[in-house]
Amino acid sequence: MLCQKCKREATVHMREAIDGVVREVYLCLECAQDQGVVVPKTPGGLPLESVLQKFVTAHLGELVGELARRRCPCCRMSYMEFRANGRLGCPNDYTTFESGLLPMIKQSHSATRHVGKRPQRHCKNGPELIRLRTALGHAIDDQNYEEAAQLRDAIRDALKDALS
Amino acid sequence: MNLDDLTRTSGEWLRGSGPESDIVMCSRIRLARNIATYPFTNRASRGDKTEIEREVKAAIAKSGADLFYQDVHVLNPLDRQFLVERQLISRELMAAEGPRGVAIGPQENLSIMVNEEDHLRIQVMHSGLSLNEVWEQITLLDDRLEETLDYAFHSQMGYLTACPTNVGTGIRVGVMLHLPALVQTRDIEKVFRALQKINLAVRGLYGEGTQAFGDFYQISNQQTLGKSELEIIRTISDVIPQVIDYERRARKDLLENSRQGLHDRVSRAYGVLKTAHQISSEETMHLLSSVRMGINLGLIDDLEIPTVNELFIHTQPAHLQKIQGRHLEVDDRNLARAQYLRSRLSNGRHQSN
Repeated sequence: MLCQKCKREATVHMREAIDGVVREVYLCLECAQDQGVVVPKTPGGLPLESVLQKFVTAHLGELVGELARRRCPCCRMSYMEFRANGRLGCPNDYTTFESGLLPMIKQSHSATRHVGKRPQRHCKNGPELIRLRTALGHAIDDQNYEEAAQLRDAIRDALKDALS
Repeated sequence: MNLDDLTRTSGEWLRGSGPESDIVMCSRIRLARNIATYPFTNRASRGDKTEIEREVKAAIAKSGADLFYQDVHVLNPLDRQFLVERQLISRELMAAEGPRGVAIGPQENLSIMVNEEDHLRIQVMHSGLSLNEVWEQITLLDDRLEETLDYAFHSQMGYLTACPTNVGTGIRVGVMLHLPALVQTRDIEKVFRALQKINLAVRGLYGEGTQAFGDFYQISNQQTLGKSELEIIRTISDVIPQVIDYERRARKDLLENSRQGLHDRVSRAYGVLKTAHQISSEETMHLLSSVRMGINLGLIDDLEIPTVNELFIHTQPAHLQKIQGRHLEVDDRNLARAQYLRSRLSNGRHQSN
């Protein structure tokens, strides 16, 4: 099959159905990149995550691209990481990634609102403690012991607040 | 209590009593819970996991529940496998890394896994069809733990879990059924399709992705959000009697239409188990399944159901090695298994341990 633009050998085959009308496109790699159908050449050595993000933005638009770039301020998990391994990083991710999670949750549970048991207690500073604990883990990994000590103090204070 | 003590006993859920226990092995409910102030387990640092373990142990102590805590991190691979075979921990907890453990209740009715996919996986299991009793016990324990622990909860999404497939109630309600006749008549596929249509999952003896060894199947809910715990329990409670009824009808048909063939198959299975000199775990499960059905249909009268239930577990690889007190390779296990079965099944009427 030849490229429909330049008649070179086609290496990209795209098939789309719009309102029941099926359209097939054959393109060579260069023309496909010009058309934005495939990811433009990226400099070597880029982490997989950013390649994937470019791919998502190219195909699904900026809105989803923005979601793909989103990162939880507490546990530092990105939406792309969640999509790659299927596990969220902390309770706050349900808020950070809400626009991506809700359709998924609706599909698997046929519902979006909890019915049933509720705990009596309510924790106010959960996200803040997760943010501090995640930062502490990174400080220890980086052998930044001064920062780690400060973070430990901050965690202790936050726990006191939680109890008061 | 320690792990070696467990090799001499078996869980209450194997005792073969309770409603419909000829077909229902046990009823089980688990709740997934997380502490609001820590990242989920997959994102938690080693230090976080240590703290989570400490907090959960303190909450258990305060709850007044009589539980024995086993640190899984320090266990050797054989002991971890032993806990999996006993249904006290999941394969995920066995294979995980870092601080983690399991709190085990008397008679093994109850266990709390710590630092599995979620910080807490609370499980209660009873023999026979008894979901209401299981729910009463587990919700009470959950309440007690919550008096000390701050659970991660969202007013709209409910209990927050590491995987969105468990969010909401965090509940999995499961019933383990022994369905040898439906397997034999090949009607089992029809039952599965009907269950899948109403969003129920069917799994093997050891949960997700495992084969249905010994014709045991777990039927459980998949959806955890949008319905209350009691509604989810009711859905399962309504459907199980229908499956039981199918299995009973299939057994009746087999008895009426091919009694001789069935009796022969059951007796041969029993004969092989009593006399073999080497036998694999898979063949053992397969033959025990025939024997179990044979007892329930009155075709074998010198063996008790609890003994058979126990043999399903005690002939698994790790159990066998714990009972023998030494490491055994596959060939040696097959010899030891056959010897163990001969000793348990010889000499007239048999009692469970």
